[in-house]
Amino acid sequence: MATNSHQASRWRHTVRRRVSFAVAVLVLWAIAIEARLVQLQVVRYDEFVERAERQQSRSIETHPKRGEILDREGRVLAYSVEADTVVAVPVDVEEPLETVGLLCEVIGCDGSQIKLLQKRLSQPDRQFAYVRRHVSVNAAQQIRDLDLKGIGLIKEDRRFYPNKELASHLIGYVGIDNQGLHGLESRYDQEMKGRPGRVQIQVDARRRTFSRVERPPTTGASLELTIDKYLQHIAERELRAAVLEHGAAGGSVVVLDPRTGDILALANEPTFNPNDFALSTADVRRNRATQDVYEPGSTFKIVTASAALEERVFRQDEIIDVSPGVIYFGGRPIRDVGSYGALSFADVIVKSSNVGASKIGVKLGPERLGRYVRRFGFGQAFAIDFPGQSRGIVHDPSRITESTLARVAMGYSISVTPLQMAVAMNAVANGGELMAPRLVRGLRSSDSHSEVPGRVIRRAVTQETASMLTRIMEDVVSRGTARNARLAGYTVAGKTGTAEKIVNGRYSETDHVASFVGFVPSTKPALTILVVIDDVARFGGSVAAPAFKRIAEASLRHLAIPPNVDAPPPILAPVVPRLVQQVQVSTPLEPESVSEGFMPDLRGLSARKAVAVATGLGLSSRLKGSGFVADQAPQPGQVIGRGQELTIWLNRTKKAVSELRSKR
Amino acid sequence: MLEQRLYRHIDWPLLLALLILCVIGLTMIYSTTYDPLEVGVSPLVFTQACALLIGMLGLGAVIWVDYRWVADSVPTIFVGLVAAVGYALWFGTSGGGANRWINLGIFNLQPSEFARTVVALALAALFSQWQRGPQTVMGWLWTGLIIGLPFMLIAQQPDLGTAVTLLPVAFAILVFAGLPLRYVSILVAVGIMITPVAWTYGLEDYQRQRIASFLNPEQDARGAGYQQIQARITVGSGGALGKGFLEGTQSRYNFLPVAHNDFIFSVLAEELGFLGVVVTLSLYLFVILRGLDAARLAKDRLGRYLVVGIMAGFSFQVIYNVAMSAGLAPVKGLTLPLLSYGGSSAIATLVAFGLVLNVRMRRFTN
Repeated sequence: MATNSHQASRWRHTVRRRVSFAVAVLVLWAIAIEARLVQLQVVRYDEFVERAERQQSRSIETHPKRGEILDREGRVLAYSVEADTVVAVPVDVEEPLETVGLLCEVIGCDGSQIKLLQKRLSQPDRQFAYVRRHVSVNAAQQIRDLDLKGIGLIKEDRRFYPNKELASHLIGYVGIDNQGLHGLESRYDQEMKGRPGRVQIQVDARRRTFSRVERPPTTGASLELTIDKYLQHIAERELRAAVLEHGAAGGSVVVLDPRTGDILALANEPTFNPNDFALSTADVRRNRATQDVYEPGSTFKIVTASAALEERVFRQDEIIDVSPGVIYFGGRPIRDVGSYGALSFADVIVKSSNVGASKIGVKLGPERLGRYVRRFGFGQAFAIDFPGQSRGIVHDPSRITESTLARVAMGYSISVTPLQMAVAMNAVANGGELMAPRLVRGLRSSDSHSEVPGRVIRRAVTQETASMLTRIMEDVVSRGTARNARLAGYTVAGKTGTAEKIVNGRYSETDHVASFVGFVPSTKPALTILVVIDDVARFGGSVAAPAFKRIAEASLRHLAIPPNVDAPPPILAPVVPRLVQQVQVSTPLEPESVSEGFMPDLRGLSARKAVAVATGLGLSSRLKGSGFVADQAPQPGQVIGRGQELTIWLNRTKKAVSELRSKR
Repeated sequence: MLEQRLYRHIDWPLLLALLILCVIGLTMIYSTTYDPLEVGVSPLVFTQACALLIGMLGLGAVIWVDYRWVADSVPTIFVGLVAAVGYALWFGTSGGGANRWINLGIFNLQPSEFARTVVALALAALFSQWQRGPQTVMGWLWTGLIIGLPFMLIAQQPDLGTAVTLLPVAFAILVFAGLPLRYVSILVAVGIMITPVAWTYGLEDYQRQRIASFLNPEQDARGAGYQQIQARITVGSGGALGKGFLEGTQSRYNFLPVAHNDFIFSVLAEELGFLGVVVTLSLYLFVILRGLDAARLAKDRLGRYLVVGIMAGFSFQVIYNVAMSAGLAPVKGLTLPLLSYGGSSAIATLVAFGLVLNVRMRRFTN
């Protein structure tokens, strides 16, 4: 019994120890679990919340609409349209080869494309593959009708340039994913592409959706250009005509508004269609007006002359001896076309005497000439809207030889871009202020509109110098080298330039860059126009000046700029009381609805109203007689074009007018 | 009629703790199975509520009869269990690749859930004859038979997880029966030696993979490690205060598979946060310690071993399941008793606690 109780107590002791051990294990476990939970739920809380949210929500990006590009009147130059893109879910494609065959019948593929598509669709582990992006509406419908397994259509934005080649070098183009690659599309890509939207979807493990949170995409900003679509068209048309006529390699036209520095038109030849930019070469897509440099030749004498006048090195009427038509600097000759004998300072420019210009330049000296070269903006890149623009090549005046100086004075040994030359001339046109060329007037987004202000870079010359230069350049056109630029009704100031191109290290006799730069009307300039024709055998006066004339003529008409010489009699007749009584019985009619491209019926309208309608259509009006419109040419309903001339016959008699009214 | 004295000795705090756990479990099952896209309460909630009710009735019934009387009919009960498990194995309803259930028409019964209690009862009855565990070869053979027969049958279903829960029951009874330490050491040593053998021969590929992916879940995020990772995310994203009732996105959106079953604890951690977890764990700890107390107070070896066996099985499940839910143990199909969805488990657990209460309230009777 004693041993038994002893055994029992020992046993109890053992069991108590083991119970304590079990409790200890239990408590340790509880501590371990709590510690672990603190680690998961408190320490690493953020990490797990993030992971939970990531797997519970799918977020889909929605593409924003790209902003448009508009001309100065709001006419669309570039916009985005929805296009169908054929896509495949290779996992679901059952018969890849057969599917590709059917697809290719619709979209058309060559051998390598067929192979590529077959390869793409035969990847059973892939969820997505492009078949063909941006197909036509017809093709999309046919593919929809085919109803192939694993083939679908999605909507994508596609950039469209409705005017094709128009202003293509300025606008540039976008790549297949709407990324700006060239021109303004590239320069303003960030602003125009907009902000993508986001759709947050709560999903479960079986991908069922529970809720959606949507942030809509923000449409990109639209660009408002200073370009006038019609002036751009005129510039391109005339440039192409000139290039074709003379068999030139290319050319540029720049049209500026002298008051603001706005680029109204900027054309290059050759050109390309941005809708199919891949079909053109990079050479063709280059914006020659800002990326290429040329030796300006005689047009640069304006800079030389303004420096001389401004610095009072020469007076306008000072006589300069330019005989015998050749002068040597450092052993290299500078020649005139012939020997002019003695010329006044002004006539050196009018006759474009190289000898005279180089003498002026040498007398000015490198420092002063160099200063004016810079004042007119040469050697500087100030056109912010042109990616890849060139600054030109300008010699450092402190390290210039007399020979080089003489050449710079006549526009050689210096390289400028056409835009720089136009901007320099523009400074003369507006009375001496160098205006920064502006291409983008403003950015418009859905909720804001920001204006890009015009900018005066600096004053290049004083107003007096500018007006002296203007007078000289008027003479250039009226009796000098640029007589081909003369316009009926308007005074023109301008300067021709012909630069021999360097071919194989020598100045060529037959390869010229012919240019003309001028402004019109010279008394109150509305347009500064530069024409550069590259690689012709002829001279600026015979190649570029006529192009200038045609561009100026049509542009002035489009802008309804009144002639400043031999102006036609004022449109409004003096008010004669007796006649007013007569017309009071027949109140003028309102113009009918006007449809673009067709001649509206102006009969019965007052002369004032008729002219307003005609101007709105870009017609220049010629009035015959006075009173109400009795007849018109072109007749109502005829097809009309901008810049066309409209003749209106007016009649005051009550009878004629009331007859007309009854006819209508 | 229950004697007034017995009635007074019912362990009301334990009963209350069990009830609270049942309610928490039911609430969490409601929350995880709540589908915002479908109307109405999930039928699983009703099933579980019914099972809990049956379990409570069973518990009440078990309290009525003296545990010694129950122990007297242990051979019948044991044979009945073996028959039921065997029936489930050969004629039962299969689910999830295992034949675990017997179709009773209204619901499917999983007899293996009762195995722990029956084994505890049988071993308690056997060991009550001995002072310090089986000291004879015959004794060991009987012990081996009582554990081995149900173990083999359940493992054959195959339901290794449930089968393994029998081992802590037996081990605890052996240890608390005062088995000399050298025997305990031998058992532990044998257990350790068997592990590599069991790894090679005893486990299926998927089981090995589960353990491997526990050690490095990110390696196989889509496969075996998936549950492991999701459990961690579920628990971790709950934070200190939880996402709120019905707000547990991880479980409700099916990212965490069988959330209402094996991973109910993770759901709890997600919706009620660290706070809810601490409360629940405290309840479990209270229940377990209270059980050990009942074992201490038991008037005879039979009662003591019975309670120890039952509590060992219960504790093992709780410890393992919570550790698994917290990402501290490999994923194994072990439910969290009283919280997890599972009618058989709920009934078996409550009935087992009926026995625990039974032993405690009769500590003064003869």
